[in-house]
Formats: sequence, structure tokens, C-alpha cells
Amino acid sequence: MIPQSPVLVVVIPLIFSFLNLLFGWFRRGLCYPITLVALALSFLASLHTLNTVITTGTIHYYLGGWNPPWGIEYVVDHLNAFVLAIISFVSLVVGVYSRRSVEQELPDKTVFFYTVFLLQVTGLLGIVITGDVFNLYVFLEIASLAGYALITIGEDGAALASFRYVIMGTIGACFYLLGVGYLYMATGSLNMTDLAQLLPNLYGSKVILVGFAFFMLGVAIKMALFPLHVWLPDAYTYAPSTVSALLAPLMTKVGAYVMIRILFTVFGPEFSIEIFHVTDILAWFGTFAILFGGIMALSQTDFKRMVCYIIVAEIGYIVGGIGVANPTAIKGAIFHILNDAFMTACLFVVAGMVMYKTKGHNISDFRGVFRKMPFTATIFMVVALAVIGVPPTCGFFSKWYLLLGGIEAKHWGFVIALLLSTLINAALFFRVIDKGLYLHASEHTGLHSEPRYDEAPLSMLIPGFIIAIAIILIGIFNQAIFRNIIEFAVPSGL
Amino acid sequence: MTDLLAIEYRPFLAILCPTIASFLILVSGRRPNLRESWTIIGSALLFLTVISMTPFVLKEGSIKCDLFNLLPGVDFAFNVDAFGLIFATTSSCLWILVSLYSIGYMRSLEEHAQTRYYFSFALAILGAIGIALSANLVTMFLFYEILTISTYPLVAHDETPEAIYGGHKYLAYLLTGGVFFLIGILMIYFLVGTTDFSHHGILKPALDSTSKLTLQIVFFCFLLGFMKAAWMPVHSWLPTAMVAPSPVSALLHAVAVVKAGVFGIIKIVCYLYGTDLMHDLGLGLVLGCIAAFTIIVANLYAIGQGNLKRLLAYSTINQLSFIILGVAILSPMSVTGAMIHIPFHGFMKITLFLCAGAIMVVTGKKEISQMAGIGRQMPITMIAFTIAAFGMCGAPPTAGFISKWHVCLGAIQSGQMVFLYIILIGSLLDVVYFFPVIRTAFFEKMPEVETLSGDMEEKVQVVSKQIQIQETKRPLYLFMVIPLAITAAFSIIFCLFPNAFYIYDLAQMAVKNIFGGM
Repeated sequence: MIPQSPVLVVVIPLIFSFLNLLFGWFRRGLCYPITLVALALSFLASLHTLNTVITTGTIHYYLGGWNPPWGIEYVVDHLNAFVLAIISFVSLVVGVYSRRSVEQELPDKTVFFYTVFLLQVTGLLGIVITGDVFNLYVFLEIASLAGYALITIGEDGAALASFRYVIMGTIGACFYLLGVGYLYMATGSLNMTDLAQLLPNLYGSKVILVGFAFFMLGVAIKMALFPLHVWLPDAYTYAPSTVSALLAPLMTKVGAYVMIRILFTVFGPEFSIEIFHVTDILAWFGTFAILFGGIMALSQTDFKRMVCYIIVAEIGYIVGGIGVANPTAIKGAIFHILNDAFMTACLFVVAGMVMYKTKGHNISDFRGVFRKMPFTATIFMVVALAVIGVPPTCGFFSKWYLLLGGIEAKHWGFVIALLLSTLINAALFFRVIDKGLYLHASEHTGLHSEPRYDEAPLSMLIPGFIIAIAIILIGIFNQAIFRNIIEFAVPSGL
Repeated sequence: MTDLLAIEYRPFLAILCPTIASFLILVSGRRPNLRESWTIIGSALLFLTVISMTPFVLKEGSIKCDLFNLLPGVDFAFNVDAFGLIFATTSSCLWILVSLYSIGYMRSLEEHAQTRYYFSFALAILGAIGIALSANLVTMFLFYEILTISTYPLVAHDETPEAIYGGHKYLAYLLTGGVFFLIGILMIYFLVGTTDFSHHGILKPALDSTSKLTLQIVFFCFLLGFMKAAWMPVHSWLPTAMVAPSPVSALLHAVAVVKAGVFGIIKIVCYLYGTDLMHDLGLGLVLGCIAAFTIIVANLYAIGQGNLKRLLAYSTINQLSFIILGVAILSPMSVTGAMIHIPFHGFMKITLFLCAGAIMVVTGKKEISQMAGIGRQMPITMIAFTIAAFGMCGAPPTAGFISKWHVCLGAIQSGQMVFLYIILIGSLLDVVYFFPVIRTAFFEKMPEVETLSGDMEEKVQVVSKQIQIQETKRPLYLFMVIPLAITAAFSIIFCLFPNAFYIYDLAQMAVKNIFGGM
């Protein structure tokens, strides 16, 4: 049982998703508990994996007993054990939160929803855990297809948004697959560790260069890096609120993880930094993503869409951190994967709670909402401060590392963009907080009118609170995470 | 429990008081009397905790309290030194008085959202105390941001478009300041690898690896970071923020927020750069020029104000720059003056704001021109106002005299006569705008009822209102009058006994540490 935990992380949600279909046929009510059990087990397995990695180092797991480079190998080091834990935790929390929201938004699609939900989680976990570039593609497609399906069942406009996502996403996947093909052509291997050993002799090859370019392009589309982000705002705005809360934080973060892997594990820092200066270009892309995402977010009237553009900006943080490419900045980028997953999940959870009560997700729907929903307001306040980057929330600390990395590398463009984004985020969130808290004087019914409480159900509030508390605790105890995980997750050779 | 009361946990205890109080306030929002008693209890406990640390600090030098590691080389830590205690004592002592005053003010006006008000108030005090006691820049930044954000709901309390505009302007300025502060901290951390405050500055070693210009730029980042000190030309959030209720203006814009800015500047000058380095970089002179400019221009602005609270706002800007100037002169005497002016000005300015608030509540008047003869209606209030106004001008026997004396002496000692003249001109201008208010209040007659326009019924109402309004008429008014009388009394006591609350001893000790023995 115990050495099997890496594979269990992925297999449990996969098997349970079919169980969902089976039991859901008889009783629809069973789907929710089955999903929760699957997610909880998967989370425990990933925690166990993380613990093993921390105590004993990198785990190599050969699927079916086939040795690499012929068989598929799962390689779990500090970086992906960390991302695994993030994904399984966020999906567990979102799973708990999903119940009432799904009941309200998708009353007759419960079985379908939870089946695909688990498939989605399987895909995301698989991408992260595998040590094989082609196997990664397979999981990428599982995750993407499940994602298209989940988005389509959203509100009006979701079908079109999902269609756009299908086109963009498929192009991205194609590029990725082409990259895999080129690499296989040149080296005859698909295993990452194996590739890392074979590639340095071929750094001059044009085939490798083209393969690398395809990889980057494919990943950039999947992670919605500016200017390839156009599918994201529509897709996550119209998706059901649970789906937004699951996909928006995780899909993009998984993309960021894949980028780090390809840049620094498969190709090695020498190639990405010194020979082709790819990281310099990425740093500027990150910078522009931050600015563009922030400015676009400012002009939105829809809350969910605003959050989508915030994600575009946050992806800019991570890519910029990867691009600055010194250990400090990479640490910041890896830490920001964690923070941003929590923050965006929390933002969409809040959006879902407000939508549950007001049936809308425009910023104007937030008018006076926080007076009626004080607990939701508290959660929102915490996450807003985290996104702005106020200590002691976690957002401050990743920003600290990213800024420090930028200063060390003297990449002033990135530093200034990060600082500006702080101000933009403040403007964004205080606009919503104002709407939620203050009524104009004319709307007061009386000086002492206490608002009637109309709070979201507990099954939504508790996950929200868990994430909000996590955001604060991660900030306060960030050094524990750094010392045990992130210090080791930084790619060697930087 | 006994462990928690040990001296090294006192700073933590001091932070805990407002935190727990704010929480209890939030929970007991439906029972006003309980809620207000939490505020009072919290403030009293906080004051006792802070003052109980003073004898120890005077004996041992400082109290260190490391809680946990935030970043490599940076702990979440408190280090209570003499200067920090001055600020902490001021804030905590005035919190008690303003809480009492708030009860009178808020209930008389039947304000809305009182729970939010008291909650944010306690958090703001948490920010101020945290800034005072923090051991390094990162901890300070944390509390600095708490202070900024918690005061926003207070500024925008009225929820009128005007108040929300004021709140936005306030946030826009101060959060931008926060960003500059952050970049300053990052640069310091990048250059020397630590952000702990030290008596002789920590930046000397940085000169080996970097140019003077970098350090000068970083200093300006910090200066912009402390926009809370409202130096010109980044002062304009302060007059706009006067839309806040009077107790808020009183505590936050005379004590907590603006003093946090000035406190930060002194910390940067004395504990981060160190006086020697400030001389070497020529930054003292630059800072002095900014302060001198602000003193004169803010006073000129103040002369033109018709609204009492706005007048007080500009007077605050002027006095804050006076403190900055005291530090910029960089002589032991003037720094002492600057440090003791923080509590002294706090007590005097709070008196003025509380008076303005009391006048507003009792008579509904905000403009100076309406206040003819108000001294007869509200004698206690206006006498307190007069005392504090004398203090602003630096006339004996008020506390303002003591601090002004020290700063002037310091200017003479270091031979910077220009700054001496600036201070004296500034004091004269103070007289120019404060004395007309006093004259209007005491020596002008109340407008006759006949001169008012309107029909007979309105006249009757005006007359009956004028009879009704007396500051001791309603018990709630007493909640306002007594605190302001106390602060006014302290304005005089501080002149006669500058060592009340050990303030003078603490300042001397801090200066001794900074300059390495006078």
C-alpha cells in the first residue's frame, strides 16, 4: 500500500469517476459523497507522497513494473509533490463547496457533473505526477476535454465560450504533441530524465529548437499566457461557479508547472537561459501580462470576468518569476503557484456564494451584499488583501520573493510591473468592497436599520473559510514551506 | 498565564489587547453597552501594559520579543526601545480618552454602523502600537498596512459620495505610499540582508557595494513611503480625509496615522541610516528643506480656511513638518525636541479636534464664521481650545513651548540658523490663524435673532435651540467635554512636568543611544 501512494493519487479519482456514473444511475444523491471520498483519499495519498518526498527524497515509480525509458515512469520530486498536494487540496475543498451550487445551477446534471469533475481532477493530477512527456500529453487532453465539457454546461454563452476554448486548446495541445514528436524524432526517448541526459549533445540541432518552440507555444496557450489568453475570460466567466472555482485556479497553475519542468528539467537551464535566452523573453511576456491583465481587469463590470483578468496578471507573476530565472525569483514563482491557486479558488468561491444569493455575478450585483453576508464579506476581505499583497497573507510573501528576484537580476521592468499591479489590485478590490459595504445615503432606510442577515449555506461557507484561513496560515508559516519543500524544488544548475 | 505576563511577552500582550478587543467588539455588535465596554477595557489594559514596560526599558535599554520567522533573516519581532515607547504611550493613552469621547459623539448623533466604527478603531490602534514596537522594517510594514486599511472605513464612515471620495483619495495616497515603502524595504534587504533597526543605523556596510546615489534614491522611496507624514506636496489626502467623524480625525489624523508617518521617518533617519550617514549623504539638509517648505506653505494655506476642521488639518501638516525638521537638523537637542513633540502635539491637537467635534455635535456649526460668541455657550470647550491653540503657537505654559525650545536650541547648536528663522516665522503664522478663531468665539456677539431671515416660527426655533444648547446639559455631552478637558489639562501639565509618563526620560535615553552619549 505505502509505496503505491504516487499512483493512487491519480487512480483513485479515475476509478471513482466511473463508480459515480454507475451509482448515479440508481441514486443521484450518492454522487456527492462518492466524489468527496475519492477526493479525500486522493488528498491523503498526495499528502503521504509529499511526506515521503520530504523525508526520503525523489520517488521513482515504474508503472506496471516496466523500466524506463520504455515504460511509463512517475517521478515525484519536491516540485511536483508540492503541486500535487495543492491540486488535490483545492479540488477537495471545491468538491465540498460544490453541493449547493450544483443543486441550484445544474439540478438535472448532477451525475454527469460529478463524473466529469473527477475526470478533470484525474487529468490535472496526472499531468503533474508523470515523468514522461507523452503521458503528460495524454493527461493534458483528459483534463482539457473534461474542462470543455464542464464549461459547456454553464449559463448562456457558455457553449460559445467553450467552443472557442476547444479551438484554442486543441491548437495548444497540437503544438505540444508536435513538440513531443520532434523530440522523439531526434532522441528516440519520451522519458524526461532520459531526455535531459540525451539533449545536451543536441543543443545545436534545429529540430530540437523547433520542438522546444512548439512545447513553449502549446504550454503558453494552455496556461493562458498573454497574448494567448483570449479563451480564458469567456470560458471561466460563463462556466458554472463550481467549475470556475476548480478550473481557473488549477488549470493555469498546472500549465505553469509544466513550463518549469520543460524549461529546467527536460531542457536544462543552460539551454533555456544561456544559449537561447528564452527566459529573458519570458520575463518580458510576464511583465506585459501583469500590466495587460491588470488594466483589462479594471475595465470589467462583471466580477467573474474581472477575476479572470486577474488570473491573466497572476500568470504573468509566475512566468515573469520563471523568466527572471534566479533562485530567488523561481522560489517566488513556485510559491506563487500555491498562493494563486488558493487565492483564485477563494475568489471564485466568493463569486459562487454571491451568485447563489443574488443570481448574478456582475459587480453591480454586489451592492450591499456584504451587509447581508458578513461571513462572505470576511472571506472576501482576506482574499482581497492577499491578492493586493498585504502581509501577513500569503500574497505578500510570494510578491516579496518575486520582487527581490527582480531586483537581484536588475530586471526593473518586472519590478515596476509588480508594484503597479499591487496598486491596480487595490483599486479593483476596493471598488467591490465599496459596492458590497456601502449604500449611498439615499438608500438608507433609517439610521439604525440593521440589515437582515441572508448568508450563504454552511456547505459553501466552510470551504470558503478553510481557504481564507489557509491563506493567512501559509503567509505566517511560509518559512516552513520554504525550508522543507521549495528550497529543494528549485531546479539545479541555476 | 504568569508566563504571558513576563516582561519579554509584554510587547506581544500589548498587540493582543486591541486585537482581542476588536474581535469582542465585532461579536457583541448587537449590545452597544457591552461593545463600548470592550473598547474601554481594551484601551485601559493596553495603556497599563505599555506603561508597565517603561521602567524596565529605562533600566535595561530595550525589550526584545521574537515570535517567529517570516523571511530568511527577518523575524516577526518586537523590540521595545525608548523612542517606540513614547509613541506607544501616546497612542494608547489617547485611545482611552477618545473612546470615551466617541461614546458621547456617536450616540449624540445617532450614527449608523457603530460596530464597524469601533472595530476599525481598535484595529487602527493595533496598527499604531505595532508600528511603535516593531523590531524591523517588515514587521513595521505589516502594521503600517493594517493601519492604512483599517482607517479606510473610518474615513468613509458617512457613506456619502463626498466621504467615499475622501476615502478613495486617502487609500490612493497611502497605498501608493505603501508600495514605495515596500520597494525601500526590498532595497535595504537586498543591500544589507537584514531590516532590523539599530541605534547607529545599519546601512554603513552597504556603501562598500553600492553608490551613494542608490542610498539617496532609497531614502526618497522611504520618504514617499511615509506619505502618512503628510509633507508637501503629498499632503492633500489629509484635508480631504477631514470628512471623517471628529473622533476619527482626532485620533487618527492627529495621533495614530500621521504620527506613524513621522515616527517612520525618524526611524529611517536615526535607526536605519544613522545620523553620520545622513550627514555624509547630505540628506539631512534635503529633508530639512522639504520640512521648512511645508511649514511655511501649510501655514499660508491654513490662514485661508473657513472650515474649522480643515484649518486644523493644515495646522497638523505644519506641526508634522516641524517634527521632521527637528530630526533633519540632526543635533541631539533638536531630535529630543522632535521626539517629545510627538506626544505633546498629540495631546494638544487632539484637544483641538475634540473641541471642533463637540461644537459640531452641540451646535451643529462647522464654519469658523458661525462660531461668534460660542465661547459663552461652551466655556469649557473653548477654554480647552484656547489652551491647545496656545500650545500650537509654542507659547508657555503649554507643552508646545518645551518642544519648540528644544528644536530651536538644536538649530542654534548646529548652526543652521535658517531653520531657526523658519520655525519662528511658522510660530508667528500659527498665531495669525488661531487667534481669530479665539477672538470670534469669545469676543464677538452671537448674531441677533432679528437679523436672521425667515418667518416668526423659525425665529422661535432658533431662540429655543440657543437656549437648549449647553455643553453640560445632556449627560452624553459630558462624555465629550471631560476627555477634552483632560487632554487640555495635560497640555499644560506636560509643560510643567515634561517627565509625565516618563516621556522626557525616554526621549533623552533614545537620543543618547542614537548619538552615543551627548
